[in-house]
Amino acid sequence: MLNNTVSAATSAQAPLVKRTGHGWRLGRLNLELRQHMSPWLQALILACALVVGLGISAALLIAAGVKPSALFDEFIVENFSDPENLHSILFQAAPLIFVGVSAALAFRVRFWNLGIEGQMIWGGIGATAVSFYDIGPAATRIPLMMLFAALAGMAWIIVPLWLRVRWRVNEIIVTLLLNYVAFNFLLHLLYGAWLDPKDNFPHSPQFRAFERLPELGFGVSSALVLALIFTALSGWLVMFTRFGFYTKFVHDNDRMALAVGVPIGLVTLVSALLSGALSALAGFVIAAAQEGRLTQSYFEGYGFSGILIAFLARNNPIAAMVVAILVAVLFVSGRSLQVFYQIPFAMVQLIQAIIVISVAASEFLMRHRVHWVR
Amino acid sequence: MLHFTVNWLAGTPSFAAPYALAALGLIVSERAGVLSLGAEGFMLVGALAGVATELELGGYPSIALLVAMLAAAVVSLLFAFLVVFLRVNQVIAGLAVVFFCHGLTSLVGTLGGWTNRAITGMHAVAIWPLSEMPIVGKILFTQDVVVYLTIPIFFLVNYVLTRSMLGLRLRSVGENPEAADASGVSVSLYRLGAVVAGSALIGLAGGYLSVVDVKLWVPGISGGRGWIAIALVIFARWQPWRALFGALLFGGIEALIPRIAAAGIQLPQYFLLMTPYLATIAVMVWAAVTKFGRSNEPAALGQPHIREERR
Repeated sequence: MLNNTVSAATSAQAPLVKRTGHGWRLGRLNLELRQHMSPWLQALILACALVVGLGISAALLIAAGVKPSALFDEFIVENFSDPENLHSILFQAAPLIFVGVSAALAFRVRFWNLGIEGQMIWGGIGATAVSFYDIGPAATRIPLMMLFAALAGMAWIIVPLWLRVRWRVNEIIVTLLLNYVAFNFLLHLLYGAWLDPKDNFPHSPQFRAFERLPELGFGVSSALVLALIFTALSGWLVMFTRFGFYTKFVHDNDRMALAVGVPIGLVTLVSALLSGALSALAGFVIAAAQEGRLTQSYFEGYGFSGILIAFLARNNPIAAMVVAILVAVLFVSGRSLQVFYQIPFAMVQLIQAIIVISVAASEFLMRHRVHWVR
Repeated sequence: MLHFTVNWLAGTPSFAAPYALAALGLIVSERAGVLSLGAEGFMLVGALAGVATELELGGYPSIALLVAMLAAAVVSLLFAFLVVFLRVNQVIAGLAVVFFCHGLTSLVGTLGGWTNRAITGMHAVAIWPLSEMPIVGKILFTQDVVVYLTIPIFFLVNYVLTRSMLGLRLRSVGENPEAADASGVSVSLYRLGAVVAGSALIGLAGGYLSVVDVKLWVPGISGGRGWIAIALVIFARWQPWRALFGALLFGGIEALIPRIAAAGIQLPQYFLLMTPYLATIAVMVWAAVTKFGRSNEPAALGQPHIREERR
């Protein structure tokens, strides 16, 4: 244990550290870095982490009043036996896929885009502006809305992006704070110029029929098809093009990338701009397929879900799509828990955070070998 | 005009106190090399714990504030365990903890029935006879206890950080963990302690928001103040007194917002509500463009330390 410290602490010649006594220690944990780990073992650890995370979540749900026997029913049986529920999962999956792929593209170049919600707000505003001001003929309305949404999202991300690339301003904080700015601007519109004149509620007037994303039958919405198309394009971009290879370079070793002449600034710029556009399209999809208008809170919670999806998918767009569908299951179940057990929707956020924490913690075992040294 | 200015300046300290305390807490943990992005979450935990304590005890705001500190410190153990012992990426861990706290507090607040219930909270204490002085008395000596305590807390933390062995070791862990480790300082222990102590201060900031300022708990009550505090620390070059100055600046901006509307000046209110966030971004840009104090950043900020890993 530590020796007497009072005099040592004030004396100028005191050693930086006092001696510790010996003989009471049993040993200590020693860490060794692993150079390599077999994919199977990695998958096993990941699976264990997911089981632990889900186990803690289940315990929380039970503590909050859900019967243990009902858990399985709520999350698995209900969702996959009932076509109605399956439909809502696929419906919910579309915006989640967009934000997941968006986060993955930004994180690939180590741009921490925490402004997904702000970009979604601007996506919604861009799309609604087209509807509100009647821009273009009816036939081109949907593509125009998409274009405006994407441009608005890109415009919103370009500020933190430029600050980061040019001045090395921390983008984590800037993107996050811009969410609050965007939200206040949304309220300004919804309580002001865009207030629905029909019922005086703070949401925009209803979109007309040709401004809404149609259902394609079999419970599949065109929003989901759009999400899949953009996922495929992003997947192709990062896996099969030179640009994708560059993003990997920038992510893994940006000094090396600089040394061999990779245009780091340009790669970061393009990747992050695409991220902003995809987040904005998530906002567009919710406005045009789910709500049919611009509302006050359509973006809530998607920011973190995007981060979670990208993190679990290791920034791979195709994997992000799969994870997004699983998160959609969680969202839909969370809503039904809200209705039947009065459990706040915040539970969904908590479960997502627990899963991220347990998976992040499990990477410790993938990177280190732990010994007990005597 | 004088009346307006005096009222505004008198209102500033109570808006500045949460920024000041949170920034101070962040400085403690960042000086030890841990980027505590979880600040926003710890503030929420402190805010809920404070209100819940006061509702359950039926008063005692000072105990409520202590519980707020304790609760934030306990939750920060999770974050500290992740980043200090498991070496999880500090950004990922910080974000996950923020959202964990978001979810946890709105869940617990609802299940405990503490949401949207007004409390009596803490009132301002006039220090007579100083409070009777013209102008200065109202601005400086009719504040609440926490505002008065903030100054000694700053003295104490600044002294410990810069003038004590404890502070020297703590900073050595943040500047050069390998050297600190070689001279026998336990990097993990110091970082753990710094995170927990810093989070207690952040929890106090959160408790102040709900118990003293708003006198109410609603989910997300901190409204980005934790993030603003993180920016404030960068602006303050990781130095406590500069952080206090920055906090007063932001408190001043925030105190101005309701007064502009009350004075009958017509400005679009949602644009006014954007100003603290825009001002934060402006300050960060200014600090980056002028390269202000970049070299003051703790050299090992955000880097995990693992003894067996040689660089």
